[in-house]
Amino acid sequence: MIKKIILFSVLTLIMACSSSDDSKGGSTDDFNRSALLINLADNIIIPAYKDFGPKLTTLKDAIEAFVETPNQSNLDTARNKWLTAYKAWQHVEMFNIGKAESLNEYYYFINIYPVTVSDIENGVTTGTYDLNTPNYHDAQGFPALDYLLNGVATDDAGILAKFSSDAKAQGYKKYLTDVINQMDDLTQQVIADWTSGYRDQFVNSTQNTATSSLNKFVNDYIFYYEKGLRANKIGIPAGIFSTNPLPEKVEGYYNQEVSKLLTLEALNAVQDVFNGKAFNGSETGASFKTYLEYLKVDRDGKNLSAIINTQYDLARTKIEGLNSNFSQQVISDNSKMTEAYDALQKAVVYLKLDMVQAFNISVDYVDADGD
Amino acid sequence: MRKILLGIAITSMLFTSCSSDDDSTNQNNSVEAPVTYKFMRDGKSTVSFAGQTTRIKMAMELRSALGDNSKTAADLQGMFAHIEGKSDFSDADLNASDKSIRSKVGASKDYFAANTTGSNKIKSLMDSWIEEQATTVFASWNAIATAGTAGQLQQAGGGKMRYVNGKGLELDQAVSKTLIGGLMIDQMLNHYLSTSVLDESSNIADNDNGVLNEGKFYTTMEHKWDEAYGYLYGNEIDPSTPILNADSFLNTYLKQVDSDVDFAGTASSVYDALKLGRAAIVAKNYKVRDEQIQIIREKISKVPAVRAVHYLQEGKTKMAAGDTAGAFHALSEAYGFINSLQFTRQPNDKVPYFTHVEVTAFMEDLMAGNGFWEVKPETLDAMASLIAAKFGFTVDAAAN
Repeated sequence: MIKKIILFSVLTLIMACSSSDDSKGGSTDDFNRSALLINLADNIIIPAYKDFGPKLTTLKDAIEAFVETPNQSNLDTARNKWLTAYKAWQHVEMFNIGKAESLNEYYYFINIYPVTVSDIENGVTTGTYDLNTPNYHDAQGFPALDYLLNGVATDDAGILAKFSSDAKAQGYKKYLTDVINQMDDLTQQVIADWTSGYRDQFVNSTQNTATSSLNKFVNDYIFYYEKGLRANKIGIPAGIFSTNPLPEKVEGYYNQEVSKLLTLEALNAVQDVFNGKAFNGSETGASFKTYLEYLKVDRDGKNLSAIINTQYDLARTKIEGLNSNFSQQVISDNSKMTEAYDALQKAVVYLKLDMVQAFNISVDYVDADGD
Repeated sequence: MRKILLGIAITSMLFTSCSSDDDSTNQNNSVEAPVTYKFMRDGKSTVSFAGQTTRIKMAMELRSALGDNSKTAADLQGMFAHIEGKSDFSDADLNASDKSIRSKVGASKDYFAANTTGSNKIKSLMDSWIEEQATTVFASWNAIATAGTAGQLQQAGGGKMRYVNGKGLELDQAVSKTLIGGLMIDQMLNHYLSTSVLDESSNIADNDNGVLNEGKFYTTMEHKWDEAYGYLYGNEIDPSTPILNADSFLNTYLKQVDSDVDFAGTASSVYDALKLGRAAIVAKNYKVRDEQIQIIREKISKVPAVRAVHYLQEGKTKMAAGDTAGAFHALSEAYGFINSLQFTRQPNDKVPYFTHVEVTAFMEDLMAGNGFWEVKPETLDAMASLIAAKFGFTVDAAAN
C-alpha cells in the first residue's frame, strides 16, 4: 500500500513536471461529496430498493399461486405483478455497486434480454440447468418470466396448458419457480447489504480515487445510461449496432405493450438521480446537478446541468411519441426510434466528457469488446 | 510522441551538421514526405501491392470460416494453403489467385531463409489448430464445454457464445492472432523492410538510375517498400489515406493500440514513417529510408505486445468475475498475440523481442494441464510483466 502511494506520488510529480497545462492533477475541489453520497443513499438508492424488494416478493407470491393453480385469474395476477415489479426495477438497475457488483453483476440475473428461448426450453425438458452460470444469464430474470407468462404459447389457453396439461408442465413450473426464487434471493441479499453496513461504507468513501464511491457511482450511472438505457432499450432494436433493425430485441418482447413504458420509467429514474430527487417525494438534495452548479460548469453561457436536463426532456418527448410497443415502432417507422436514440446519445457526450471532466473522474470502462 | 519528434529532430540535426563533408551526393538529397501515400512517375501511380491485399482477403475468409461449423477440415486447409484455380473461397478472384496464406507464414528473408525448420514448425502448429477446430470443436459445437472437453460457453450478461477446445482455447483466435505476427508483421518488418530485400542484387543502382520493372512504373526497391505498406493497409478502401479498422488483423489492432491514450500517436508515427521512407527512396536518400525502418519496426512490434498484455490482464479480471467464457476469449487472443511476438523486430538489430523458444515456453505455460481452465492469475501477471518490461511500457498502460 505504502509502495503504491509512493509510486503514485512519483507519478504525480512526473506528471506535474511534464504537463504543460494548468490542470489540478488529481486533487479535488471543495464540494461536499459526503452530502451528495448521503442524499443518494438515504433518499434515493435505499428507498428505491425498499420499493422494489416487496414488489418482487409480491410477484413471487403471485407466481407461486399460479404454479399451484394455473388458471386465467392467477395468470393475470402474475402478469400484473410482473409489470409492477419490472417498473420498480427500472429505478435500481443503475446501482451496480456494493453487493450488486460483487454478485458478479446482479443485473445479469435480473434483466438480460432478449432471452435465449432454446436454453429455457432445454432446461424445462431436461431439468438440468444452473441459473448461476453465465450461460443462463439470458435465460432468467424478468425477460424469462416474460417468455414463460406471455410467450410460451400463442394464446392464453395455450399458455395455461403448458403449466397444466402439457407433458412438460412440471418442468415449466419448476423453471418458473427457480427463476423467481433466484431473483428474490439475490434481491434480498442486495437490500440486506445496503441496510446492514454498506450504506455507511458508501457514504464515508469521499476521496477521489478509482475505487471511491462517487467515482464508481458516476461510472455506473453513465454506463447504465449508455448501455442499459440508450443501447439495450432503443439502439439495439433500432439496428444502430447491426446491419438491420432487430425488433425482437426489445425489452418485454413477449408482453408486446410495455417497452415504451419501461423505458420512460428508466429515463425518469436516471433524471431523478441526476437532480437528487427523493425517491418517495419531490424534494431534492445534493446531486450531480448541484455539483455542476457549484463548479459553475457552463457551455455556451448555459449551465451544463440545465443543458443535460433539457436533453433528457427532449429525449423523453421523442420516446413519448413512439408506439407503446417498440417492436411495432421499429417495423412501422424505425426513423422515429433512431431519432429517440439520437436524442439520448446527445446526453452521453455531456455526461461522459463534460461532466466527468468537471468532477475530475475518469471513465473506467471501454465501449466495446471487439470480436 | 514528443520523444519521437525529438528523436527525429536530433537525428536530422546530426545529419545536417555532418552532411557537409560527406561525399555521397545521395545523402544530401532532401526528403519531404507527401501528405498522403501517393507516388507518381510521369503521371502514373508507382504504388502497387495487389498480392498483399489478396492475402489479407484470404485471411478474412479463413477467419470467418473458422467460426462456421459446416466447414470440414479440408475446406479450412484449402483456404489456408490455397492452390491456384481451386474453389476454396467465395470470392472468384481469390480462387483464381496463385497466392496463398500458408506459404508466407514465417517466411521472411531475414528470419526464415536459413531457418526453414523453424518456419515449418510454425506452419505445422497452425495446421494442427485448423484441423482440431474442424474435427473437435465443430464436432462438439452445441455441447457445453468443460475442463478437458471442447464445446460452447456463453459470455456473462447474455454475451457472445465462445467455442473452445478442451483446454478452453478458441482455436480461431489462435490462428487469427498468429497471422498478425506470422504473416503481416514478419513479411513487413523482416522481409520487405529488410535491406536484404530492399537492396538485393542491383536494386540500389536501378533505383539510383530510375530503372523500372518491365511493364511497370516502379523500381524494384519502390515496389518492395509498397509491399510492406500493403500488409498493413492493403484492405483499406483507399489505402493512400488509411482510416484503420479495415481488416481483422494488423490494421485493426494498430488502431486498438492507438486508441489507448498511453499509446496514442502510434498509428500516425507508422504512417508518417512509411510515407517518409518511400519518399526517401524516390529521393535516393537511403539514410533517411533506413531511419524510418527503425521507427516502423519499433512501433509495429509494440502492437502484439500491447495487445498480449492487455488480454492477459483482461483474462485475469474476467476470471475473477466468474465470466469464464469472457476470460477464455481474452486469453485466446493473448495466446495468439504472444505467438506473434517471435516475429517482432528490435530496431537496429536482427532479432525479435522474444524468440521462438521463449514464446513457445509462454504458450506451454498457458496450455499446461487443462489449460485456461486452471491457469493461475499469478502466471498471467508474471507473463504480462515480462512482456511489458521487454518493450518498455507498463502493464497498467496496456491494461486499460
